[in-house]
Amino acid sequence: MFSIHGVKLINRLKQCRQASTNLSKNGDIAPVFTNRNPRNLEKIRVAYKPDGYHVEKPGRRFWHKLHLKASGRYLTATINHFENGEVIKASTSEWAIKKQLYRTLDTSAYINLGRVLADRCLQSGIIEVSCNIQPPTQNGKVALFLKTLQQNGVTLEERLSINLADLGTSIVLKNHGKLQNK
Amino acid sequence: MSSIMFMIEGKCEMASTLWRLYNINLNGNISSSLCGSIRKGHHLRGKPPGKAKSLEQKLAERNYKDPSIYFRVDIGLPPPKYSRSKQLEERLKLLKLQKKNPELEKLSRNKELLINLEDTKQEWLKTAGPYHIKQIADHYGIFEHLFGDAYFFPRVSLNITYDVENGKLPIYFGNIVKPSEATKIPEVTYESDENTLWSLILTNPDGHFTEQTSEYVHWFVGNIPGNKLEKGETLVEYLQPFPPKGTGYHRHIFILYKQDKKIDFSSYKREGSCLTLADRTFSTYNFYKNLQDSLTPSGLSFFQSIWDSSLKNFYHTTLDMKEPIFEYDFLPPYIKKQKWFPLREPFNLYMDKYRDPKQINKEFLMRKLKNVHPFQEPPPPLPYPNAQYFDGYVPTWLKLEIRKSRLKWGRINDIE
Repeated sequence: MFSIHGVKLINRLKQCRQASTNLSKNGDIAPVFTNRNPRNLEKIRVAYKPDGYHVEKPGRRFWHKLHLKASGRYLTATINHFENGEVIKASTSEWAIKKQLYRTLDTSAYINLGRVLADRCLQSGIIEVSCNIQPPTQNGKVALFLKTLQQNGVTLEERLSINLADLGTSIVLKNHGKLQNK
Repeated sequence: MSSIMFMIEGKCEMASTLWRLYNINLNGNISSSLCGSIRKGHHLRGKPPGKAKSLEQKLAERNYKDPSIYFRVDIGLPPPKYSRSKQLEERLKLLKLQKKNPELEKLSRNKELLINLEDTKQEWLKTAGPYHIKQIADHYGIFEHLFGDAYFFPRVSLNITYDVENGKLPIYFGNIVKPSEATKIPEVTYESDENTLWSLILTNPDGHFTEQTSEYVHWFVGNIPGNKLEKGETLVEYLQPFPPKGTGYHRHIFILYKQDKKIDFSSYKREGSCLTLADRTFSTYNFYKNLQDSLTPSGLSFFQSIWDSSLKNFYHTTLDMKEPIFEYDFLPPYIKKQKWFPLREPFNLYMDKYRDPKQINKEFLMRKLKNVHPFQEPPPPLPYPNAQYFDGYVPTWLKLEIRKSRLKWGRINDIE
């Protein structure tokens, strides 16, 4: 039941302890400093990853995750956050992308969507995303999409949290032969 | 014929019996005596899986917010007006032309079609861009921390670039910029009429040294005619980002406001380069609250900055202070409440959990010092330390502890 406490803890754990003091015109510093950036703890890998779903497949131990969906006409790729849902989106139904494509669902569309999504991810400071997508063929559309994302600077793997409680559960899962970081 | 009928009947009978058995198993409470024998002593706590709420449902219930109380207000510019039918007509025309283009078809078929990302971005900023930017800004808690329950769609796109050694470093919506790359005033451009007035503010809501909910204003230029920043009033001089060591990534947010008229910003004016940080304390919420009749937020761009080694010098020379260093305060490990009669707990380890760790360390040290002679060297280590008899009766828990300390396992390493 880590995730229930985790949400609370994230707020309480935002505290840093001051290690030095000083005396000057800017010398007034509170002993506890709070960084309000909600993505900070995830970026420095201290935040909890959501837990409590490790029996489910494909698991929910991620902060950001890549989704790819092909409808009958368009292709949509999104980056979803475990709490906030969809945060970045790129789709061939957008006029900005569709305008320059010949078809909105062929291999070129997959490759170009990968380029646009990678661009948006880097511009938003989200460089690591977890990804469960297994490409059906080695050189198919989906494989090319993932490859383009990686070539353009997005890492398709999220590293483990360094939080001890989180590490502990990962080790337990690893010992049982089912480490799920995705 | 009759024999076949009999066979079918027999099968039916068997099937119905099986069905009944199956039903008994399913319908009976899982913790009943029947299932209890199968589960071999494992008891199901709480309601069975079908009836009990899942973790997802419980979390949804816990995080529920009443929409009649927690709603947000759009404070931005209205969306641009255009004729949808005209736009559709133009788009269809362009798509038709595209379908007839054999070169494009060939490129697309050979997987060689690479669209122009810069054009895509410019078109995106005019169409879906503001909605997507608002989404990512919400993800970074920008509106929540600056405007409380208000938000806006950034209708005016801001082009902000820092000059660095290898060229220009643009600011988007959360990209990472090191403090050493943002020492100089950035170049800011946006599309605007010459007759309009604007103001631009750069704030950091994460870095205040004394008040958690306040911001530091890093740059404030007011009454900018059109997009000529140099002609506007500089109310607060530019100060580079200075996230202290150990505090992680700080958001630095540029917000462009459109003004209805010329505003007297004299109360926000700071003389000189304003290197006293307390004077740079700022609250976007109060600022907007006071001037909301004549200000409309219309452009948004932000970056994240983390400590780098160039800041040591900056703290010492520019801010004239010691460099503050912070470290992350992890919560202590959870230890459950002590019981009078704990069941199935190893008593020695259980009791140690609730004792003063200093006292335990002291006992270990005393035990070690008991065998240490000040003038003689310690006895050589045994080749097989556990191949030794125990003297007299020794309880098993103590035997285990002795074996562990002989093998130098566990806590004994803290003092030896």
